[in-house]
Amino acid sequence: MPKTRLPVTRRTFIAGASATALTGVAPIRRSFAQGAALKVGVIHPSSGFLAQIGQACNRGAQAALPVLKDMGYANIEIMLGDTESNPDVARAAGERLINAGAQLLVGAFDSGQTSTLAQVAEQRGIPLVINIAAAPPITEQGYKFVFRNFPRAPGIVAGTFEVQKQLFAASGRSPSKCVVLHVNDTFGTAMRGAFGGIYPRMNMPYQIVDYISYDPQARDLSVEVAKAKATGAEILLAVSRLNDAMLLTREMVKQRWEPWGIVAAGPGYYEGAYMKTLGKNGNFVISTVPWYDPRKPLAQRMIEAHQKMFPGQVVDTNTVFTFEAMLVAADAYKRAGSANPQALAAAIRATDIKDNAALSDGIKFDAKGQNDTVRIAGIQNFDGDAKVVFPLSSAERNFVFPVPGWQARR
Amino acid sequence: MIKIWLAEIPPRGRLYLGLLLAALLAAPLFIDGYALSVLVLVFYFAYLGQAWNIMMGFAGQLSLGHALYFGLGAYTGAALYVHFGLSPWLGMLAGGAVAAAAGAAIGALGFRFKIGGVYFAILTIAFAEFTRILFDHWLWVGGSGGFFLPVTGGRGGNDLLGLRGSPTMFYYVWLAATIGVLILCRALLSSRLGYFWLAIREDQEAAQALGINTFRYKIFAVMLSAALTAFGGVLYAFYNNNLFPSAIFSITRSIDMLLGAIIGGVGTLMGPIIGAFILTPLGEALTVLLEPLRDLGIKLDGIKQVFYGLCVVVIVVFQRRGVWPWLWRKLGLDGGAK
Repeated sequence: MPKTRLPVTRRTFIAGASATALTGVAPIRRSFAQGAALKVGVIHPSSGFLAQIGQACNRGAQAALPVLKDMGYANIEIMLGDTESNPDVARAAGERLINAGAQLLVGAFDSGQTSTLAQVAEQRGIPLVINIAAAPPITEQGYKFVFRNFPRAPGIVAGTFEVQKQLFAASGRSPSKCVVLHVNDTFGTAMRGAFGGIYPRMNMPYQIVDYISYDPQARDLSVEVAKAKATGAEILLAVSRLNDAMLLTREMVKQRWEPWGIVAAGPGYYEGAYMKTLGKNGNFVISTVPWYDPRKPLAQRMIEAHQKMFPGQVVDTNTVFTFEAMLVAADAYKRAGSANPQALAAAIRATDIKDNAALSDGIKFDAKGQNDTVRIAGIQNFDGDAKVVFPLSSAERNFVFPVPGWQARR
Repeated sequence: MIKIWLAEIPPRGRLYLGLLLAALLAAPLFIDGYALSVLVLVFYFAYLGQAWNIMMGFAGQLSLGHALYFGLGAYTGAALYVHFGLSPWLGMLAGGAVAAAAGAAIGALGFRFKIGGVYFAILTIAFAEFTRILFDHWLWVGGSGGFFLPVTGGRGGNDLLGLRGSPTMFYYVWLAATIGVLILCRALLSSRLGYFWLAIREDQEAAQALGINTFRYKIFAVMLSAALTAFGGVLYAFYNNNLFPSAIFSITRSIDMLLGAIIGGVGTLMGPIIGAFILTPLGEALTVLLEPLRDLGIKLDGIKQVFYGLCVVVIVVFQRRGVWPWLWRKLGLDGGAK
């Protein structure tokens, strides 16, 4: 076969390759234009295994822009970065955005990636507002430029128990037994550990009679559900992902296990796909998560903006806390009067936002840069929609507990 | 000895090598934080690719679970530092020993029962996976909630002995590690051990017939590769300051380690380095160059992964031996791919 010679000489190849490589690593001049929009680097895992969540966070940031503009804040320019669901890449993604002119960073959903990003922010002296990441050590490192508007892991678990206490008090029903069914992945295992540590301090009316774990890839949960049913527990405390949440509920219907209710700690049950797939059987599950406060006007404005920009996409935890991170940025920029990172960090430290969107007592950071006022909401599924039912002061509608049996729902 | 090796490289090759080394040594003076972090990633991939290459490229034993050794090193070094205040360099030795022992156990299990090729690769994945589950539950090292090292971020200056310092310090540490492992591999290849490995890689039965104890030398390869990978794990732990079992022991990390070596040329000395230089900066360049498309509403999420996939396809179709042998010829350094 005759060889085809490409019209590329060795010199042109080397020159071309060097130029291309240098384009990737060459410094991009940092430009801080006076009076211009605040440049916010929004960094999430928008590709890789966390892509769906990362993109939901990005939508929250984008939905914030028109709302913040209406509120009279200065313009914000979003610069998107992708951690590729990989902590190793998070550092380069942060550095790239800072070089490209980002004056403040928002991110990054995952604790490992956020921890790496926090180091970049601290080293470069650029404020980082963490939207979602629950690992406590992130704000225990003495950072001066890192702020977190999200509860830490122990707070989330304690909140799960608090919501249940409110539920039992309001319904006048006190279960005596609870069984925990949890997925055996990183999140599920961590939650199970936290349950074990915090439950004894919470004075719950019930006793946790068993912890039953299952594989995230499980295709059949009949044994686990049968085992849980046999405990005679009135409450099922579930830690799931989406697919196993559906599998678990279907198995409960099949085995006609009808506890007083399912309380979910974390994702899966409030997601659109769960409610759509299970129909009426997906009703009445109570999920305990950091959420928006539907009574707050800003939350309503956020939902409207989100629905307008991304019709059909659900507003959830990812949306509201990224939205609030943008609010923190805009508010600090306004008070600082400049995009100087030191001034921005000082302004964020002095943040005192009372009219926010999440279920919390406003946004205010302690000396470590942590906002510990975020509370956990109880949201219950009603015909394809998740509504806030706890705390009662923020409830969108009345809770249903104990829940009707499977047959009674038809 | 290094003089003899240098003498084997054509004058033009020595010139390129000298220029590259000088450029890399001087780079932190001219480049910014972003470029520095990209180059650290390049060295990270080059170093780990080289360590993996010992097992696959030299001894012909496929491993898809090198994240195991990486994680064992990372956790050993970090835990000894956090709990006992042990220097990371001593932690590195301990991590290397732990990983080498794990490698020896897996190797012995596989080679003794004649588990070879793809089955051996699956065995390595299995060990990495169950080690991940073990670390998910081991609260002494943080469990699935993550293990964090105290961060100084270079605020207290650079402490090379404690591996606490700025990204620039880590840049030179990773560069030194990459050069070090390159020299080590060069020495190995011209040693008796290296020749035994190459013989095993080419034809194990023939090597056995010549009197080479293939079991022993394959175990050596696994142990050395595991220990070097563990050293990289310790450096990683002290650079990133956080370890999560799901990220550290993931199959993705194992694949990342071998991708550079495959692109550059498995079994070659410069292959893993060239592969790392191709994948990481070009992947980043692609992100930067395509950024304007984002403004037009075109989604670019995952474009880098698509690029990596294309690279592998192109290499598999057009340059099965990798880029380095081809580049060697194109740069006029003929005399056989080294």
